[in-house]
Amino acid sequence: MSTPEPAAPPIELRLRDLTPAGVPVEVVARIVTLERREVARRADGVRRPLLSGLLSDGTATVRFSWWDPPREGIERGEIVRAVGAEVREFRGRPELVFSWKTRVGPAGEAELPRIAPESLPLRAVRDLRQPVEGFRLEARVVRTAPRAVSVGEEQRIVHEGLLADHSGTIAFTSWSDFGLKAGEAVRITGAYVRLFRGRPQFVLDERATVVRIEAGGLPEPAQVLRAPPRLLGELDSEASAEAVAVEGTVVHLLPPSGLVYRCPTCRRVVAGGICRVHGEVTGVADLRARFVIDDGTGTVTVATDRAATERLWNVTLEEARRRLRDRPDPSLLEESLAEALVGRRLRARGSVVRDEWGLHLTPESIEAAEVDLDTAAEELARRLPGAPR
Amino acid sequence: MTVREPAWKVTARELEATTEEERGEGERVASYLVSPFGARMNRVLVAGMLTPAEPVGRDEPPTFWRARLTDPTAAVVVTAGTFQPRAAAQLRSATAPRPALVVGKLHLYRGRDGAPQVSVRAEVARSVSEIEERSALAEVGRQSLDRLDLLERLERLPATSDEELRTAGFPAVWIRAARAALQRYPQADRAAFRSGLKSLVRRVAGDLGPPAVRPGVPPSVTVTPVPPAPVAAPPPSQEGRADEAAFLDLVDELSDGSVDGYADLRELLQRIAARGVGAGRAEAALDRLEEGGTIEEPIVGKLRRA
Repeated sequence: MSTPEPAAPPIELRLRDLTPAGVPVEVVARIVTLERREVARRADGVRRPLLSGLLSDGTATVRFSWWDPPREGIERGEIVRAVGAEVREFRGRPELVFSWKTRVGPAGEAELPRIAPESLPLRAVRDLRQPVEGFRLEARVVRTAPRAVSVGEEQRIVHEGLLADHSGTIAFTSWSDFGLKAGEAVRITGAYVRLFRGRPQFVLDERATVVRIEAGGLPEPAQVLRAPPRLLGELDSEASAEAVAVEGTVVHLLPPSGLVYRCPTCRRVVAGGICRVHGEVTGVADLRARFVIDDGTGTVTVATDRAATERLWNVTLEEARRRLRDRPDPSLLEESLAEALVGRRLRARGSVVRDEWGLHLTPESIEAAEVDLDTAAEELARRLPGAPR
Repeated sequence: MTVREPAWKVTARELEATTEEERGEGERVASYLVSPFGARMNRVLVAGMLTPAEPVGRDEPPTFWRARLTDPTAAVVVTAGTFQPRAAAQLRSATAPRPALVVGKLHLYRGRDGAPQVSVRAEVARSVSEIEERSALAEVGRQSLDRLDLLERLERLPATSDEELRTAGFPAVWIRAARAALQRYPQADRAAFRSGLKSLVRRVAGDLGPPAVRPGVPPSVTVTPVPPAPVAAPPPSQEGRADEAAFLDLVDELSDGSVDGYADLRELLQRIAARGVGAGRAEAALDRLEEGGTIEEPIVGKLRRA
């Protein structure tokens, strides 16, 4: 038996300040996610209940494990005060363990650490590439629109849009209505960044605070939404980008393009009447095009929906189906689409993500790119020897 | 990671000047051709007047076609075979020269005399309107000049870091290509190439009609580039003789002082330049000495007395 250590009172800490120093700590935090299971102890095989999940206090989010928790009454969103919790390190990050030595009780909103906005570090959009919280952002609302989503059984309205500062643009999702309007300059605290399908996403919920500020130096929405095209070779060094324009030549049409059949449930393209997820289905006819735009410095894959495909191809879904009835060879349709697209100069604007296959653009707009030949010739001539300076 | 190779927007002149190859190692690794003007390309986009295609080889029906694309700077051979069915069909469909856009992979062929010839194996050979052709040439011109600017900047300030250049807006692939071009073609005449883009600009402006198209290459099984006919060179001037003598002295001096017994070409050119002999004159003297059999270059970049 070891001699009992002198009982040092636990120190109350904010989650961002946790270090696995071996001293018990006291924290007040909100349960963000939780999961109950039973874990067999290695020593004697006794199964013990474990509650684990994520805690957040607005300065950081950490994992926690709670051995032998109360059977009920612990819910997501609840605020708890834990006295005498142990800090451990897991994969280089601190996490909290609540054991029989820890006293855990409910706490009120007011007990959460009060964070003065000016005490949080000011971040630029460019630096919000990885999951992060506990920062301050000053940005312009470039655009915003409500969208209905279903969370489980419940229908909720989220507000989605874009935020921009001088360093870049990021997509946001707001689960509370802060009354954001395009063009407003705002200071946001209490929000966090997560990665969603390879794109960083700025998330505001009821814990976030939004303050309107003077726009000083923030870009106008029009500047962001009408920015000139960027070189793909330059975009390639970023993992993702929002509302960017690219311009180049269509060099390749990727199959399947043209007339496709989609699963009525998940909208995936079905091959041979089989959906990858839902098995044998009766596909619903649709038009799409997937093609490669090349600007000489890099390439990007673009997928267009029915409306954009109809416009670029100048063939409607009905027309495509009629043609297929007249000449039942689907490759003729694809060839006709290739004829309409490959070699054309297009400008596409949208969000870009990069994966191991390269860059992919989800277009918000796509149109023929025209070159003003007189201006182009003048600009080129100015760069040649003998040009008037 | 298999990311698609971009189609470098280049002039036929740039392809004509390209002689350096960078072979990928391992399986399924792309090879590149490095141009003197800052391109490191696996695939290209060229625009100009495309001749009707002619079948190559004796296969019946033919399986390979060849045409010629002429832009305002030069011409390049464009081919397509049965593995590029769409491009082959596009090549064969024309009966008269027409403005076209060609995207394809590069091939470097060395004849028996070692003379390199670059051709484009087309993946796309699309007939376009004259406006589209001129628009494509405008882009070709702009990117060619951007790449030249980058080369000049690197020549002036070789210590510039990639980071600085990227911040200045140059894509990483261009920076890599520029460094390769400077290393492989230290003597390239980039100023002449820049001037040569004047005809392209006139074409973009519409002041110049479509380039005159030479007849296509006649059908044959192998591509045999004709070595340049030996031109009876005028006897060198007194100045030329002096250059040659200076050259020979330096070759002796350098090869005596070197471990392998050869004179290093680059060092030689630097030393001769230090004596006030310009690059053009030095090259001419070197050519005469090599043609006359006085010195030889058994290893690339290494000279000795024959």
